[in-house]
Amino acid sequence: MSFLKNILKKREPRVVMIGLDGVPQTLLKKLMDKGICPNIKKLVKSSRLYQMDASLPEISSVSWASFMTGTNPARHGIFGFTELKPNSYSISFPNYLSLKEKTIWDRIGEKDKKSSILNLPGTYPAREHKGILISGFVAIDLKKSVYPQSLYEKLKSMDYRIDVDTTRAKDKDFFYKDLFETLEKRKKVFSELWDEQCDLFVAVITDTDRLQHFEFDAIVDENAERYESAMRFYQKVDEAVGEILDKTNDKDFVMMMSDHGFTQIEEEVYLNRILVQNGFLKWEEDPPSEFGKMAKETIAFAMDPSRIYIHRKGKYPKGSVEEKDVPKIKEDLKNLFASLERNGKKVIKSFFFKEDIYEGDYLDLAPDIVLLSNYGFDLKGNPKAKEPFDKTHFSGMHTRDDAFLITDKEFSKKPHIEDVSKIILEKFNG
Amino acid sequence: MNKGFVLWFTGLSGSGKSTLSKLVEERLLERGVKVEVLDGDEVRTNLSKGLGFSKEDRDTNIRRIGYVAKLLSRNGVCAITAAISPYREIRDEVRKSVEERAAFVEVYCECSIEKLTERDVKGLYKKALAGEIKNFTGVSDPYEPPLNPEVVCKTGEESVETSLNKIIKTLEMMKLIPVDPSADYTEEEEEEVAKRLKDLGYLG
Repeated sequence: MSFLKNILKKREPRVVMIGLDGVPQTLLKKLMDKGICPNIKKLVKSSRLYQMDASLPEISSVSWASFMTGTNPARHGIFGFTELKPNSYSISFPNYLSLKEKTIWDRIGEKDKKSSILNLPGTYPAREHKGILISGFVAIDLKKSVYPQSLYEKLKSMDYRIDVDTTRAKDKDFFYKDLFETLEKRKKVFSELWDEQCDLFVAVITDTDRLQHFEFDAIVDENAERYESAMRFYQKVDEAVGEILDKTNDKDFVMMMSDHGFTQIEEEVYLNRILVQNGFLKWEEDPPSEFGKMAKETIAFAMDPSRIYIHRKGKYPKGSVEEKDVPKIKEDLKNLFASLERNGKKVIKSFFFKEDIYEGDYLDLAPDIVLLSNYGFDLKGNPKAKEPFDKTHFSGMHTRDDAFLITDKEFSKKPHIEDVSKIILEKFNG
Repeated sequence: MNKGFVLWFTGLSGSGKSTLSKLVEERLLERGVKVEVLDGDEVRTNLSKGLGFSKEDRDTNIRRIGYVAKLLSRNGVCAITAAISPYREIRDEVRKSVEERAAFVEVYCECSIEKLTERDVKGLYKKALAGEIKNFTGVSDPYEPPLNPEVVCKTGEESVETSLNKIIKTLEMMKLIPVDPSADYTEEEEEEVAKRLKDLGYLG
């Protein structure tokens, strides 16, 4: 019988990528050392664990788009969760269909290779490719989150949850219960869909990111009230990973990664308020109800999390900045942010002009400047904030330099998230 | 946006060139792209009237279609051509000439002779195989498939919708046509997305 079972189970080797959204390399190491993540530790032993750089800005929509296309934002066209519509101040939300580059699975699909892409952020609404797909964050409607449609009934019958209910994150008992249940259902679906024939299997656990946004304090502080709960959750994450790893064999090529790191928030920093206080931004009514209340005197404004746009004439309805004045404005902004301090600490670590970090056909759509803060200062683009600094219920903030990558590939320098697709594609070309 | 270009279908008779070209035309018109379809069968009743099916006449026919497509494309029109265009050399000659000023996108409608004979919509394959039609491409005349087409539609295996989406996606990726405006969220979805983003602190 087992002989027959083995014959039936025989399959082509797979490339397997397990993603843990927002898990820092430094945290993963600690969790492994503490014995919380034995399955991941076992994988690391037979492979290599790297600290990896995420995209700029270091948020899921941009980072995962860089992973799936192997390109920078000026090529894949995703610079944030939000954009302003052309020649307008109204907000639009870029999605999977706005992606301007082919994904890894589009490419290998052309060679008749099948991919199962499960809960990867930035893949909503689902579209056709050779294989199956369940959209990740910001997926809304389950029916539009699956390809092919036949998956819908299956997921429904398994009571699959796209995401935890973050509207109730302040109710900690509910939040943890929701996290555990959502992860359990996700694990079951990943396990079930492993049996679908594929050559590339990508499965992402996003619940880690949710935990960290609201409960990072509980993860890093052993004396925290919910430290045990947070650790128990990570044990479950490791079990879910282990369940996939148990299904792999020696011929499979297994990797893991995250899309950015996390650290504790000391304070949130409201960039638009800082721009107002320094004469770069003026609202017609203050605080404004929306970006449309920007006055024509505005020189620059910010969008989440760390993007600065110059209010150019011709680009925005009330834009008044002439092209000839842009170089001076860029220098002025650089000086402003370079000197920004809070309680004796520098807020901004690095300041990037778009030309220095992006290249591609969509450079015109890129923010003029992207900021990177020092750990602890969580940059925000909220136009409505009345104060430049604040501390709300959020506990964790993203970091750029502390994502992780587990692969047996050797890197001579620190890997970047845009490098990952090459490793996968090499496996299919080689 | 709205640069002119040539979308050149090639493939055996009955492989889906005309069907796909009409569907692509509809999709492009919806997106505000100027389109003109030069269908092989139609062209032979006017632009190339009187030409036969010898290699020389076939080449002349394709060169004429290529010439008109080129003129259209350099004036901001998407020229879709749907002719068998069996010879690689002539297709590549047209490509070279078009690419001086505009993009050339070759779409290969790949379908096996067995499948085409089985379908035989126009009843032509039966006749050709019985020797009733001479110089029939794929049966008694050669067909040289493209070596590096921008799109391959496996029309014998995949659905028309799949082939159509492949072409549209490629044109989007090549930035030759605007992205589908309906790719945007519905109003309700937008509200929900905004709410989710706010929950995570991404939207004020």
